[in-house]
Amino acid sequence: MREQEQETTRRDALAWLLRAGAGAVVASFAAKAAQRQTADRTVWQIDPRACIQCGRCETECVLHPSAVKCVHGYAMCGYCKLCFGYFKSDAARLDEAAENQICPTGAISRVFIEDPYFEYHIDESLCTGCGLCVKGCTHFGNGSLYLQIRHDRCTNCNACRIAEKCPAQAISRVPASRPYLLKESL
Amino acid sequence: MSVAVWIPVATVAASRFPQPQFDSGHTVPQTVHPPFEALVPAWADVLILALALAVTVWLAHRVRSRRWLLVFSLVCLAWFGFIRQGCICPVGAVQNVAVAAWSGGGLPWSVAALFALPLLTALLFGRVFCGAVCPLGALQDLFIITPQRVPRSVDAVLRLVPPAVLAVGLVYAINGAGYLICRTDPFVGLFRRSAPMPMFLTGAAVLLVGMVVARPYCRYFCPYGVLLEWCSRLAWRPFAITAHECINCRLCVGTCPVDAITVPRAAPGDTARRGLFRRFVLMLMLAPLVVAGCVAAGWLLGAQAARAHPSVIVAERLAQTPESEMDLHPEIEAFKRTGRTPEQAAAEAAVTVARFRRGCAWAGAFVGVIMALRLLGMTRLQRRTLHEADRERCIVCGRCFAACPKNVQRSTSNAQLSNQKGDT
Repeated sequence: MREQEQETTRRDALAWLLRAGAGAVVASFAAKAAQRQTADRTVWQIDPRACIQCGRCETECVLHPSAVKCVHGYAMCGYCKLCFGYFKSDAARLDEAAENQICPTGAISRVFIEDPYFEYHIDESLCTGCGLCVKGCTHFGNGSLYLQIRHDRCTNCNACRIAEKCPAQAISRVPASRPYLLKESL
Repeated sequence: MSVAVWIPVATVAASRFPQPQFDSGHTVPQTVHPPFEALVPAWADVLILALALAVTVWLAHRVRSRRWLLVFSLVCLAWFGFIRQGCICPVGAVQNVAVAAWSGGGLPWSVAALFALPLLTALLFGRVFCGAVCPLGALQDLFIITPQRVPRSVDAVLRLVPPAVLAVGLVYAINGAGYLICRTDPFVGLFRRSAPMPMFLTGAAVLLVGMVVARPYCRYFCPYGVLLEWCSRLAWRPFAITAHECINCRLCVGTCPVDAITVPRAAPGDTARRGLFRRFVLMLMLAPLVVAGCVAAGWLLGAQAARAHPSVIVAERLAQTPESEMDLHPEIEAFKRTGRTPEQAAAEAAVTVARFRRGCAWAGAFVGVIMALRLLGMTRLQRRTLHEADRERCIVCGRCFAACPKNVQRSTSNAQLSNQKGDT
C-alpha cells in the first residue's frame, strides 16, 4: 500500500515536471517573441510613393466598399482647371457632366476659386478606392490625390488582404499613433 | 494673402504645377484624417481573455452545466466574434509569435499573451478555450444537429490536416508569404458581416457540414488545436465527465459530438499481446519510411507553396507574359519601377523557392513524426476501466454532464437518490 502511494507521488511529480516544462516552453516562446516588443499597436497603411494604382484596393479589401479611400493633399494641389484626376483623358468637354468625369461614383466635386483655379473635394462616403483619379493625378499632375487606408473603416485584420494582393507591396504596418503616410509630409 | 500657409507648400518643390497664389485670399483647406481608435486598450483585451478562460474553467469544472457553458459561449461569440470582429485571435497569433521569434521583429506583448494564455490554461484544465471562449468553436457548436461518428480510418487521416496546416502556415508566415492561417479562417467574414463571396461560402459550407460532422474546423483544420491538444494531454485537472465515481453505465457515450469518450477496454490477452508487439516492430520499421516520405512530399510541394510569395509571383509573371502584354499586369508595372532586371528577379525567386522547399521539408518531417508516433500509439497495450473524456479530443462542450446519472443524482433530492440507487 505504501509502495503504491509512493509510486503515485513519483508519477505526479513527473507529470508536474512535464507540465512545468511545457509551460516554460510556451512562456519562453511568447517571451522571446515579445522580447523586442513594439511599444505601440500597429495598423495597416499604404505608402503612396510605392502605390501604382492597380485598383486592387477597391476589389480585394474584405470590406465592401473598401477601407481604402482617395485623400486629397490640398497643400500639393496645383488647383488646375484641367485636372487629370477629375476629367477623363478623352473627355468631350471640360465640364461637370458625369460622362466627362473620371470618378465612376462621382465622389469628386470641384469648386471655382478664381480664374483659372478650381478646388477639388472628395466625398469619402462615395469613394470606392479604385484609384482612377489617383492614376490621372500622379501621371499628369502633382500627385496630390493618393490612396490611404481610412482608420474609421479599417478593421485592422491580422492578415490584410489587400496587403497580400498588392503588386507593389506598398502596404505595411505602421505605428497606430501615426497611422497615416501623408504624401505632403513624407 | 496668408504667407504662413505657403511655407510648408514651398517644400513640395517638385510639383509640376506650382500652387497658385490666390488673389482672393483663399486659404488652402486641410484634409481631416480619422485617427485609429481601439475599441478597448490592449491590456483590456488580454484581461478579458483571461477572465473568459477563468469563467469557462469555473463553469466546466465547478458548475458543470452544459446550459451555462452554452450561454457563456454565446457571450464570447458576441464579444470575440461579432464585436471584436475575430481579429484578436490566439489562433492567428501563432503566426505573429512565430515570425517575431524567428526574425526577431517587434511584437506587442498583448499578442504574446493572447497566444500563451489558452495554452497555459490547457496545461492546467484542458481545452477550455475551445469549450466556450473561441468564437469559431462557439459558432460551430450552435450548428451541431445530428453529429455522426466519423469512421476511425477517415478520422485518422483527417487528423493529420491540423499539424500540416500549422507547419505550412508557419513556413508561409516566416518566409513572408502572408498569413495562411488567417486566410483560411472560415468565419472571420461572418464576424465582420462583410467578405468576398468565396469566404462567405466556405464559412457556410463549414457550418452545413458541421450539422452532421460536429465542429469540422476545430477537429480537422484548426492549427492552434494541435498546440492545445499537446498541452491538454499534460493537463493537471483534465475535463471530467463526472466529479463522482464513474459507474460505467455507458450513458454518456452517445452524447459526445466529437467522439471523445473512451470506453473501458480489457487488458489484451497473450495472443493479442504478441500480435500488438509484432505490429509495434512493424510500425517501428515503417516509421522512418513514413517520415522520409513526408519530407520528400514537403520538398516536392515546396515549390508549389512558394508561388504565394511575391518574389515568385513576379518572376513567374515576367517569364510567362509575352512582350506585347507586359503593360497589362500590375506586378510587372511595379517591378519595372524597382529598376531591377528580370534575371535578378528570377534569381531572387529561385532563392525563395529553395527556402520554401527547405521549410516545407521541415513541415513534412513534423507531420511525418506525428504520423509515425500515432501509428506507434496504435500498438500500445491499453487497459482502461472507466469511461473518460479523451484529453486530446475533448473540446469541453459539456454535453455529457446531463447524461451521467451520477451528475443528476447530485442535483436531485435524497429521496430520489435512494430510489435511483435501487435501480442500479
